[in-house]
Amino acid sequence: MGEKRRSTSKTLGKNKRRKGPHLPNSILKTIANEKRPLNSDEEDDEIDSDDAIVDLYEYEEGVPEEESRKNNRYDPVVNYNYELPEDFEDENVESDDDDEGGNSDNEEGEGDDVVRHTRMLQAVTGMPSAAFDGESKRKPVLFTEAYPESEFNPTRDVLEGKGLLTIDELMAPIEGKPGFNELEKRISRMQKDAQAVVHAPLPKPERERLERKAVKGLVDKEFNKWVHMVKRNREAPTVYFNQNVSLGYSTVGAIASEFQPRTDFEKKMASVLNDNELGEAHDEDGAKLLELNEVSVEDQIKYRDHIAKMRSLLFRHELKSKRIKKIKSKTYHRLKGKDLKKSAMGALMDPEMAKEEAMKQEARRVEERMTLKHKNTGKWAKRMISRGLNVKYDGTRAAISEQLQINATLSRKMNSTNDGSSSDESDDEEELNDGSDQDTPSKLIAKAREKTLKTVEDDEVPNSGLLSLPFMARAMKKKNEEAIEGGKRALEEYEEWENSGGEENPKKTAVVSGRRVFGATAKVEAPKESRKDSDNFYDNSDSDNDTEGIENNDLGAVRDTASPARNTGAITETEFDDDVENPASKTTFDVALFASGSWKKMKGCQNAETKKKLKKHVPYSKGQDKKESRDDESEDSESEAEEMVDGILTSASKETYEIPSQAELIQRAFAGDDVVDEFEKEKQEVLNQEVPEPEKPVLVPGWGQWTNIQKKRGLPSWMVREHEDAKKKRTLDLKTRKDARLRHVIISEKVDKKVEKLHTTTLPFPYTSKEVFEHSMRMPIGPEFNPATIVGSLNRPEVVKRAGVIIKPLKFEEANPNEKVDDEHPRSNQKQNPKKGGKTGKGQSKGKSKQKTKA
Amino acid sequence: MKIKTLSRSVDEYTRERSQDLQRVFHNFDPSLRPMEKAVEYKRALTAAKLEKIFARPFVGAMDGHRDGVSCMAKNPNYLKGIFSASMDGDIRLWDISSRRTVCQFPGHQGAVRGLTVSTDGNVLVSCGTDCTVRLWKVPRPTLEDSSVSSENFIEPAAEYVWKNAFWAVDHQFEGELFATAGAQLEIWNHNRASPVQSFQWGTDSVISVRFNPGEPDILATSASDRSITIYDLRMSSAARRIIMMTKTNSIAWNPMEPMNLTAANEDGSCYSFDGRKMDEAKCVHKDHVSAVMDIDFSPTGREFVTGSYDRSVRIFPYNGGHSREIYHTKRMQRVFCVKYSCDATYVLSGSDDTNLRLWKAKASEQLGVILPREQKKHEYNEAVKNRYKHLPEVKRIVRHRHLPKPIYKALGIIRTVNDSKRRKEDRRRAHSAPGTIVTKPLRQRRIIKEVE
Repeated sequence: MGEKRRSTSKTLGKNKRRKGPHLPNSILKTIANEKRPLNSDEEDDEIDSDDAIVDLYEYEEGVPEEESRKNNRYDPVVNYNYELPEDFEDENVESDDDDEGGNSDNEEGEGDDVVRHTRMLQAVTGMPSAAFDGESKRKPVLFTEAYPESEFNPTRDVLEGKGLLTIDELMAPIEGKPGFNELEKRISRMQKDAQAVVHAPLPKPERERLERKAVKGLVDKEFNKWVHMVKRNREAPTVYFNQNVSLGYSTVGAIASEFQPRTDFEKKMASVLNDNELGEAHDEDGAKLLELNEVSVEDQIKYRDHIAKMRSLLFRHELKSKRIKKIKSKTYHRLKGKDLKKSAMGALMDPEMAKEEAMKQEARRVEERMTLKHKNTGKWAKRMISRGLNVKYDGTRAAISEQLQINATLSRKMNSTNDGSSSDESDDEEELNDGSDQDTPSKLIAKAREKTLKTVEDDEVPNSGLLSLPFMARAMKKKNEEAIEGGKRALEEYEEWENSGGEENPKKTAVVSGRRVFGATAKVEAPKESRKDSDNFYDNSDSDNDTEGIENNDLGAVRDTASPARNTGAITETEFDDDVENPASKTTFDVALFASGSWKKMKGCQNAETKKKLKKHVPYSKGQDKKESRDDESEDSESEAEEMVDGILTSASKETYEIPSQAELIQRAFAGDDVVDEFEKEKQEVLNQEVPEPEKPVLVPGWGQWTNIQKKRGLPSWMVREHEDAKKKRTLDLKTRKDARLRHVIISEKVDKKVEKLHTTTLPFPYTSKEVFEHSMRMPIGPEFNPATIVGSLNRPEVVKRAGVIIKPLKFEEANPNEKVDDEHPRSNQKQNPKKGGKTGKGQSKGKSKQKTKA
Repeated sequence: MKIKTLSRSVDEYTRERSQDLQRVFHNFDPSLRPMEKAVEYKRALTAAKLEKIFARPFVGAMDGHRDGVSCMAKNPNYLKGIFSASMDGDIRLWDISSRRTVCQFPGHQGAVRGLTVSTDGNVLVSCGTDCTVRLWKVPRPTLEDSSVSSENFIEPAAEYVWKNAFWAVDHQFEGELFATAGAQLEIWNHNRASPVQSFQWGTDSVISVRFNPGEPDILATSASDRSITIYDLRMSSAARRIIMMTKTNSIAWNPMEPMNLTAANEDGSCYSFDGRKMDEAKCVHKDHVSAVMDIDFSPTGREFVTGSYDRSVRIFPYNGGHSREIYHTKRMQRVFCVKYSCDATYVLSGSDDTNLRLWKAKASEQLGVILPREQKKHEYNEAVKNRYKHLPEVKRIVRHRHLPKPIYKALGIIRTVNDSKRRKEDRRRAHSAPGTIVTKPLRQRRIIKEVE
């Protein structure tokens, strides 16, 4: 039975150990032939030594997959082991005969073991070896297990928790032996003293893990102490690394203190500077310095002589000038004056002379400007330049450049006192223009009259400067006469306007209608027109009726000329525009200009219709032809109607006139205006601009037209398709527009690229809200927009360092409990060096504590 | 009677010297200047353009090694001195201002892998694949240094042979210990022939080591088992360790924030960690397209420089996900080591093409003495540009960098791959029960676990 068990145990062992790669049979056989087990351990050898059979590497069939639970096809079973009944006892425990047999192998080493055992016992118990003799003779009964006893394979006793050896049990056999009492005492003492028990050390990895855990905590603590410094550094708007730099001497004093006199002179200086006596004198009151201040006789004499010389020179000069003044000779004085005149100094001295000089200069300037004598217009100069001799010869070039220089100096504008008049005039004009744009008509008229009067009265001829020249004077005179005449007429006109006072409205319309001229004339006879324009203006001032007549005639004539030429006969206000843009007044006189300005103003204010039209026209300054789309007939009738109105109105100024109702007026005012239509057109135009219509496919002439067949085919299909697609796309785009359904609204969807570049697509990282981001860029930081005191702090970079200064790693500082005190004044603190900040913080804390104690 | 007069004090308008500027008085009423914002925007645009025009970062190359430059060390006490070592065992001290070799330190038989200088700048420590650690006495800088062209050679002050090859070395800040990385982490003293401490956690070799500049007894290492470990010398034990998906080539501590460190990873990204909480990176700095080989923090702690295997050097802000600057030249090969100069003004890179290169840390910075007005103008330009940097026109100009073709292409590929990954992820999420698919945030994605 024992053999059987052993064999079973062996096979068990085999089963355990002989798991290897599943090799094919052929290989296994060869392995077997070579008689070399593949994975033989020492234990294997030990076990197999007794059977000494050829060891075969057994091929093991793998466990079927179902059983190996790889694919859980079967329901899981909690426990595969066969459950033994409660009262089951293992028979194996009692059987010990096989162990005896098994042990027989070890008998050779028995003797050694016994000796060693006794020796050990002797050492442990401290009793003579004789005490154990009896024991050694008895044969110990040993139980062997299938596997060596280890922590993985404990004996059953240990597992069941019984059969543990106690010291008493161990002691029982040696009771009564010599030295037993002593041993017992020692043991009892040991049992009492529980502290001295040394436990088995933990396994190394476990121990190290615990150690690391402790170290981790310590390291974290170590790191944590830096947190406040790191936080402060990170939150600081600026970190400074350029502090505490010792570049040797920093001040002049420091450098000077190191100075050692070397040369004789330096030594002398040093001896004086370091003179004790002198120093004392300085320290006291300086009176002693006077005593020390010795002046040499030679120096004094030198100084006196110098003064005397100067005095005598002055005296002599005085005498000379007196003598010259006494001379009565006219020739002498004339010559002297000439000299003076020649010199520029003379001009400066005498105001009259200066004036004369200026006049001459002015005349020369005028001459130069008229003749351009020195601007290389001469024969010689032209020839030189045309032949390129001025490049070739230095002399010629110099001469030409000299001439140019003369020209430049001569024609330079002089700042003489009399120049102001012309510039004043222009200023007035500007002022007038400005005023006319803003003021009301009545005011304007008053102003104009004032102005005209002024000009009429103010007809004095300037008697100096450019305008004093004879031809200029003549021209001026002529002009003035004209102006006065015109002014007078204008005055009359103003009076009339003022008289008509309350009925300004019809008056103005009349004037406007009078101004209306057809576009045809403007185009056909532009030069004549302008002349007529100015003419009829002056005529206008004579009498209203007259004007109207002229205008009507004019109108008729124009219509006669225009209608055969073009059937359109559309009204254009280009004439008016022209008038505004390059008015004849510019060429005539400032009163005229003013008048035209005022007229424009009146028109703008009063006549809504014309204003409307004007507005319409201004954007289409080029597209005059577009206006031809207007209905010819209606236009004609309208103009006629207007004329009729004019007629009525002019009569109405004398007769009774019934004011039409508001609605009627409005209707009349907007008679020819189709606002809705206009708007639709405008919208269409915007749409066309933003979503342009695709171009119609066109064949390049000559292409695809070689043969009849090609011609018949027409456009290539792809072209047509493309066009269709583009059209579809356009309609889709139009439909998706925001204003597609809003009939009365145009919402432009044009992206303004210039504005787009000033926006970010997303909110940048550190910012969490749009407002904050926008706020961050609100205030400018430049030196032009901020006072110099804060520009530096506004522009300061995050890190301030200096090249060439070694930056040391962070040094530890204790957290300052008074930091919060500093935070109350962040403005003063924020820019400070962290280190410095710490110091000042300490200082402040001291101060605070003092205050506290005082309080 | 009250008479209003204009008063004009002579003192206010008189200049002391003819070179002085005339005083200009402004009225700062904003209603008088309706265009100020437009003006500033235009200025910002101009400043951005000028920055681009003046961006000439390359200062010079230092030529002399006969093999790829493997490591560098800066002298913490002397700005002009930089040490470099190459794969053939050559160590040189360079004078940056003249860009010449001051002296050489011959002796190593194999590649030198680690180089470091003590904080006082007197002792140079080198180690390499020949299993030796050598200590050298650094020559005192003299005035003749730059003029003397003959190279002098220096004998090692000490030479310690050890059991294994070394990968890196770093010196303690203000102490006399230094740490070498090899088969394990070893702590040495200047005066001992063998290490005073030795740490091993796991079996893989340590490839980089860096002491914390703020806390001299704490150091971080990275090992070839893809781990980053923090050690504390006082407890002589490790504190934390994380395992990442890819190896970390180099580590740098933030000198101004002693708890933070940044790791240069093999996957082309850098990861900033808080030493107290390593299970998640504080920031992932992406931009390199190949492994990041070396990293060094600016002494200001606001930036760090990285050198990569993709032949470029980049400068990152310490809290920004993408680089501020990329430096590359046609001739620069794989960058093995980078250093930020001690005054935070220059950047040095050592590459496989045997050259050291000196760059400006700020590409368009004006070198030399700057007058106060000039300085103010620069500051204003910078401030204005910074203010309007989010607007598209300015942004476009400021962000524009010319990239070498390989990097440009690689970036495109990476973008495509990431996009497709994201798409796939999105689809997967869309087609599975809600909550079943959890995506890790980017900051945790590459970290496998924290080891206890």
